[in-house]
Amino acid sequence: MDTSIFQRGKTETKSAHLVRSWKNKIFFSVVLLFALITISIVFLIIGTLVAKGYRQINWSFFTQVAPDTFDAMMANASGRLIPGGILNGITGSIFLVAIASILAIPIGVIIGIFLYENPHKRYANLIRDIADVLQGVPSIVIGLIVYLWVVVSVTKGYSALAGSVALAIMMLPLIIRSTEESMKMVPESLKEAAVALGTPYYKVILRVLIPSSFSGLITGILLAVSRVLGETAPLLLTTLGNSSVNWNLSKPISAVPLLIWQFYNDPNMVNMIWSSSLFLMAFVLILNILSKWIAAKKSIQ
Amino acid sequence: MKKIGLFLALALVIASCHSGKKNSVALSGAGSTFVMPFYTTAFQKYTPLTGVKISYGGVGSGAGIKSLKDRVVDFGASDAFMTDAQMAAMPAPVVEFPTCSGAVVMAFNLPGITTMKLTPEVLADIYLGKITNWNDPALAKINPGVKFPNLPITVVHRSDGSGTTNIFTNYLTKVSPEWKSKYGFGTTVNWPVGVGGKGNPGVAGTISQTTGAFGYVESTYAFAEKIPFASIKNQAGIFITPSFASTSAAGKGQMPQDTRIMITDSPDSAAYPIAGFTWVILYKEQHYNNRTLAQAQALLKLWDWMLDPDAQAVAQQIDYVPLPASVVALDKSILRTVTYDGKPILQ
Amino acid sequence: MNSDKITKYVLFVTSFIILIVTGGMLYSLIQGSLPSFHTFGWKFIISPEWNPTKGNEHYGALAFILGTIYTSVLALLVALPMAFSTSLIVAEYFRNSWFANVVSTCVDLLAGIPSVIFGLWGFYALRPFIVHIGLTQQGFGVFTAGIVLAMMIIPYAASLSNSVIMMVPNELKEAAYSLGATRLEVIWNVILPNARSGITASYILAFGRALGETMAVTMLIGNANIVPKGLFSMGNTMASVIANEFGEANGLHLSSLIALGLILFVITALINAAGKYIIKKFA
Repeated sequence: MDTSIFQRGKTETKSAHLVRSWKNKIFFSVVLLFALITISIVFLIIGTLVAKGYRQINWSFFTQVAPDTFDAMMANASGRLIPGGILNGITGSIFLVAIASILAIPIGVIIGIFLYENPHKRYANLIRDIADVLQGVPSIVIGLIVYLWVVVSVTKGYSALAGSVALAIMMLPLIIRSTEESMKMVPESLKEAAVALGTPYYKVILRVLIPSSFSGLITGILLAVSRVLGETAPLLLTTLGNSSVNWNLSKPISAVPLLIWQFYNDPNMVNMIWSSSLFLMAFVLILNILSKWIAAKKSIQ
Repeated sequence: MKKIGLFLALALVIASCHSGKKNSVALSGAGSTFVMPFYTTAFQKYTPLTGVKISYGGVGSGAGIKSLKDRVVDFGASDAFMTDAQMAAMPAPVVEFPTCSGAVVMAFNLPGITTMKLTPEVLADIYLGKITNWNDPALAKINPGVKFPNLPITVVHRSDGSGTTNIFTNYLTKVSPEWKSKYGFGTTVNWPVGVGGKGNPGVAGTISQTTGAFGYVESTYAFAEKIPFASIKNQAGIFITPSFASTSAAGKGQMPQDTRIMITDSPDSAAYPIAGFTWVILYKEQHYNNRTLAQAQALLKLWDWMLDPDAQAVAQQIDYVPLPASVVALDKSILRTVTYDGKPILQ
Repeated sequence: MNSDKITKYVLFVTSFIILIVTGGMLYSLIQGSLPSFHTFGWKFIISPEWNPTKGNEHYGALAFILGTIYTSVLALLVALPMAFSTSLIVAEYFRNSWFANVVSTCVDLLAGIPSVIFGLWGFYALRPFIVHIGLTQQGFGVFTAGIVLAMMIIPYAASLSNSVIMMVPNELKEAAYSLGATRLEVIWNVILPNARSGITASYILAFGRALGETMAVTMLIGNANIVPKGLFSMGNTMASVIANEFGEANGLHLSSLIALGLILFVITALINAAGKYIIKKFA
């Protein structure tokens, strides 16, 4: 570390001090500018969705299944709103993400703890590398692998289960890495105190490690959920879509991003794209606020 | 947190069991996006009549055939009929029959120009990369009175394998020996020029958003997005605009017994030359993968209904062309060859 | 056996799951791509010609490998300052303030926008703008795809950075301030050295995301199966080709697409290894 910059006092000339403080100001302005650009992108996209999608959002949007082309065409021709909604997509997305979470969260957290507990073992390093590799596998590749493994061999047809497995595989590495990173933030002293009291190992994990890294865990899980909520490519190859509401694991199921893809594929439904996307974003926003609230409530000060 | 997880798991198990109890038949199919608007609309009409639920995925024609091959759907839908080689690659004999036809239109985006005439030679030269600017004298010659701008042509084609591409390139091989020898036809070809758009909407969107663009789309998409399209000189030497009548004329010819026919470059003087049928494919013997007789019956009844006037009227409402009566009769006879344990399902 | 041993054992055994999933995936990819590698050998990687027309089939991946690398590198270069800035705002400059909350919520939201929506937005909003300022004639290409890709990977690049910057011990920062360091100097000389490995890790994560992104790229890159000649040239990426052609593909064509998936897999692994090496060397 270059310590000369800290030697203020009498050795430093006034002009050098000015240069340093200007550098500081300019850097801050640049950082602020970049951050504002990032925020404005989000607002631009949300603005586009709201401007184009708000008219479609009403009670029936949440309580009815997706319309068919003919109804949409008639509505467009007469300037009315497209009837129907995205109930089949909403229920499908919730179902898929719930099953994927049940599969991925326990496994991901346990593997994350395993990595945290064995930071320098060769085997743990291998597992960490593998998680990173899995993280980089494109979702479309995961979709085609799950098609081969689950759709063709297990459920003998497109199914909600296959979609959940694909999403769970995508969530795993994110949860593993975020678990490990947030565990690392837990002060050693807390853990050592618990161990010194003779607390069994699993209790240390459940009572100390998980609660004190809870906000990090939630953030990681949320990022994973947000990521898979909007996935289209793997679902096209695994769940196919469904025009009605389905709660059966072995049958095709719809999802909001699949509906968006379907609307995009049908020129009469273009208006539905924006409202569905708006809904998806609102969903993510609510999850986000909820998790921040939980994290704030639970985090150990 | 664990409790929430357990609760969710429990709720889902209960929900799954619950839905399993309702023994209503559910069918699934996958394939063509060209015909997807027609199928989904007709299916939604069919479900209230019978209680049979149908899920259809617009994944592309080839993917539809592949899904059927892997036996993960009840039926496949394709805008390209199956070749003998494809049939041989299937695990069991299949039957295929057309359900409607549609036109592929040549859409363009030029400020202030709403009509255009094209000859097969000029069309092929644009896709061969020989005509690269809208001010080319060849275009001006066939369009007297139209003021073409000095603007590069942005040629647009499909980037995914597609039945629409199959119909369009099949037409090009018929009118251009050079195209035939260099690129041939199929659901994907090795394009010499142009931008790829994903799906029909990708191409339509690219054209409507790009000044100077030119490409081929299924007619429904051009109608819906109000994109202008060209009239094409047919075999009889007449410039024909794609319409319900001119697409019907293209499909009027004799349908062979195996229904495998391309109707591009039709000799009929009223016919629009770039049109095609779309097919549905089923296994000839329906007893596989522990399928029940009820499921097989539901599948066959569905397609029998799709050939009836009620469903065919739906096709016409959304700009597809219904089948002529003779083809409907042929299709119905094909449907009656489908069996369950060797016995015909439909009487 | 005591409970501690059992706990350790459970942790250890659970880790097999990810081994099995990833190993199985690799196995399926290798098995699927063998016919293609048998036919073309190393030519598959160095040949730029991709021709799926029946009768004269030939598959080479070079155009897509380069297209993937160009778009992802561009995306990373653009996303890096953005993500770093948002991290500094959230974790340092405006720590625990409403503004930090707004920024981090926005970044989280960015992660929640589906790929398809980014594609549509790039298509309807960004592309006309690129045409308008005259960069390219129709707005498709490596540049457009890279810019949208950059927006998509910001949340991944920022996710870990925030927490590692927050983790830098306050005592160190206080010490530097008391010696009269400016904020910039503290960031440069205290925070960065302490958080470097976490920040690098999050950029690797982000780069991995960029490599495999499908839907948005396929809508913007132009899907031309050629080697991109530059920033504004059209091209195609491996993930995008898989998405476009997987449905139709059979035989050698399918095998070549699976081979592309395998190459993507391998490139990701290599980049990871490189990243790890950098962390080890400089941390």
